[in-house]
Amino acid sequence: MQLFLDGIFLGSIYALFAIGFTLVFGILDRLNLAHAAVFTAGALVGIEIVTRLGVPIWLLIPMVLVFGAVLGILIERIAFRPLAGRHDAHFAGLISSIAFGAILLSLLQAMYGADTRRFPADIFTPTRVEILGATVSLLQVVILIISVSLMIVLTWLVAKSKLGRGMRTIAENPHAAAVLGLNVGRISSTTFALSSALGAVAGVLFTLNVNAASLGIGHAVELKALAVIVVGGMGSLPGALIGGLILGVAEVLAVNYIGSSWRDMVAFGLLFLILILRPQGLFGARKTREV
Amino acid sequence: MLVEYNSLITLIALTAILAFSFYAVLIAGQLSLAQVGLASLAAFTSSLVVPAEPLFGFIPPLAVGIVFGMCVGIIAAFILGLPVIRLRGVFLAIATLAFGEMVRIFLINQSWTNGAQGMSFPKLVGIEIAWIALVVVAFWFWRLSGSRLGRAFAAIREDELAATSMGIDVARYRMASFVIAGAVAGLYGVLLTYFSRFADPNEFSFTAAVDGLVTAVVGGVTLFVGPVLGSVFLSVLPEVQRVLGVDAGWIRPTVSGVLLLVVILFLPGGLSGLIPRRKSAKRLIVDPAARPDLPDLPAPGTELVRLQSLGKSYGGVHAVRSVDLTVAAGEVLGLIGPNGAGKTTLVNMVTALTPPSTGSGSVLGVNLTDSTKAHRLAQAGVARTFQQIKLFNRLSALENVLVGGYRITHDTLLRRLFFLPSARRFEREAVAMASAQLIRVGLGDKAANAAGDLSYGDQRRLEIARALASHPSLLVLDEPAAGMNHVEAGRLSELIRSLAADGIAVLVIEHNVRMMLATCDRIMVLNFGEVIASGTPGEIARDPKVLEAYLGSSGSDADSDAAAVLAAEDLAEVTAESVRDHNRGHADAGPDGRSNESGATDVEDNR
Repeated sequence: MQLFLDGIFLGSIYALFAIGFTLVFGILDRLNLAHAAVFTAGALVGIEIVTRLGVPIWLLIPMVLVFGAVLGILIERIAFRPLAGRHDAHFAGLISSIAFGAILLSLLQAMYGADTRRFPADIFTPTRVEILGATVSLLQVVILIISVSLMIVLTWLVAKSKLGRGMRTIAENPHAAAVLGLNVGRISSTTFALSSALGAVAGVLFTLNVNAASLGIGHAVELKALAVIVVGGMGSLPGALIGGLILGVAEVLAVNYIGSSWRDMVAFGLLFLILILRPQGLFGARKTREV
Repeated sequence: MLVEYNSLITLIALTAILAFSFYAVLIAGQLSLAQVGLASLAAFTSSLVVPAEPLFGFIPPLAVGIVFGMCVGIIAAFILGLPVIRLRGVFLAIATLAFGEMVRIFLINQSWTNGAQGMSFPKLVGIEIAWIALVVVAFWFWRLSGSRLGRAFAAIREDELAATSMGIDVARYRMASFVIAGAVAGLYGVLLTYFSRFADPNEFSFTAAVDGLVTAVVGGVTLFVGPVLGSVFLSVLPEVQRVLGVDAGWIRPTVSGVLLLVVILFLPGGLSGLIPRRKSAKRLIVDPAARPDLPDLPAPGTELVRLQSLGKSYGGVHAVRSVDLTVAAGEVLGLIGPNGAGKTTLVNMVTALTPPSTGSGSVLGVNLTDSTKAHRLAQAGVARTFQQIKLFNRLSALENVLVGGYRITHDTLLRRLFFLPSARRFEREAVAMASAQLIRVGLGDKAANAAGDLSYGDQRRLEIARALASHPSLLVLDEPAAGMNHVEAGRLSELIRSLAADGIAVLVIEHNVRMMLATCDRIMVLNFGEVIASGTPGEIARDPKVLEAYLGSSGSDADSDAAAVLAAEDLAEVTAESVRDHNRGHADAGPDGRSNESGATDVEDNR
């Protein structure tokens, strides 16, 4: 039970990161590889905010959300919009987002150095609670609640709101959406903003969980998030949630029963299997080839 | 002074070789991130077989390592390719990335690699060997670019479906590019480890793969020197910054990042896009003597296509039901019918792009089954055009037609590697054949234009030229006159008649009923997936069921136009009959049911 809950906590953070990733892919058909840098930026800036201002967690999260959203708009404007209409936009977008991520990381290095940073030790009281025979910290419960509620809000937004309708129209056919009078540029920006806001918060929650943040944390999570969104089905929001939780639990179990050096094999083995057996993922729809 | 930069210059060569490994898959339109994993596998396994002393006294240890490493790269790429080759785009990238990570984790956990502590290698590679290897690799890709194999890769990159219908076995060629990339990656892995003398599996990480990809893309894939340019640019940049004294901690990655962003945003073809590109073929060769000797087409009247109660259903929807049809060499068979009648589905079955659900059929001796591949049929002599134009947009018009000649040309890569005169002769033959087709459709003066820049009508004609370049026995045209005015359509009609006169069987779908009545020997009318009428143009024009089908269709302008033409035909028919009634005894046999004049005046038919 303890293992299972640990897996869920870890998995919920993966899911929160992956859901932003898959949102951009599902709607705009772009893979934003700067997402990992946003994750790192969220973590480091979050630490900075708490250290400087000493704000409580319920204030920290909205601040990081806003910070992430601004980053997302920048990513869309700088790395993706100039490529619109190019035949290799797919491809160039991968590279330009890698470049944007590298710039962001180097700026973070300029501000905070390359060392590992932590939240001030006394910020969150380490209350422990017992659930179903397993001990968990209050912080972990808070992390789970925050990430799950953010994901629910996002799913609702995409499924029900006017903005979400616009997003889904663009996902179906960006050209037709523009003809219908939708402001494709603004909706794209908003999509990136939402995606990056979630990615930045995921960074903060991840750092709270392990209480250590360095420039490299984004990379490991990015690889796993790729696994998560493929397993869940590219572009599927519930898929990313379930995929994240599955991966979290599987990893914790693998560490416990196989050994930590093989932990990462779980993610990639799972990813590989899914791609071979069911390329559309658990929740993805198969796209048919047109003649 | 150069000694100071020895290691930098060697690394430039090695990085360029890695970039060539990415280039090998990128030119075929695939994004693979397995390269670094393959390199790692090759490097570490080669350490198990590289001897300390020359083998048999004269084979240097490094040669053993290189050959072994490349073989490992090839075999691993092949095994990886078997399951992943059918994935596309981002999915392929992620699957290959997963493979790379799995290799890394596997090697880390092996005792013979010393795991994360890494292992040392003897220093066997210096600046000379690295550059010799790079020159060999670059030479190989240079000679590839103008060969038939290189053209096939470009065709697959631009449009897989069109490439298939040209007779190119897409799956096999994609695998070939994968395996070539594997060999180059193996070479890179061995050279790198025997140069740096120390390696641990963690060096071959996702980051390293991304660096390799970035090098290839910054260099550009439009020209074979791209990887070298990318490597020089990205390797020298940090050095320049160091000399200028602007490399303090974070500044270096920032500047690199900004430059990378600038290159990717403002230089779409990468650095090699700056080099004015000499097109592999842009001049027509009009000398008829240069054309290749072509096998004879089947004798006119030979039955080439026979379909027996062929049908296709999607779920419960019958797109085509139980169609019987034959096409003979030298005849033009027209397929008409309102929108959604199942014409394109039928034609897709004839060209094996869609497997039939019921019935049987044979095309040029090949049976249509679930497993019939479109490229097999194309190699048997079927060529086609598409309703939605599928040209290789970034290739020139002439290059498009050259790809079309895939079926009747020879692979020239080996001959090109050794500069054999036959390579040049085959190339001349291919260009002469392509030129003849371009001129035939009236695009002789636009040979060097990119296909994507041509006007709509020209693109339709170019597609026909590309189909003709394969010297087909059966030509399938899916709405060739769409978007043409009636003067252009008239010329197209003449072209189709002349092709039939050459002995080609032509199966044509078209909404322009007037043109069809004037062009075809026989016409079949499809509605709701069924043949509702079939016969000579004259019989079709008089058949009330046909007019009804068009009038009853809720469809497009094209449908109502067709109805209008058919109604006019009817009217003319009635008038003609009344005239004939008047002059009983004077009625003559009339023309044989077709003519090249406008169909509206062509109403006579023998009874």
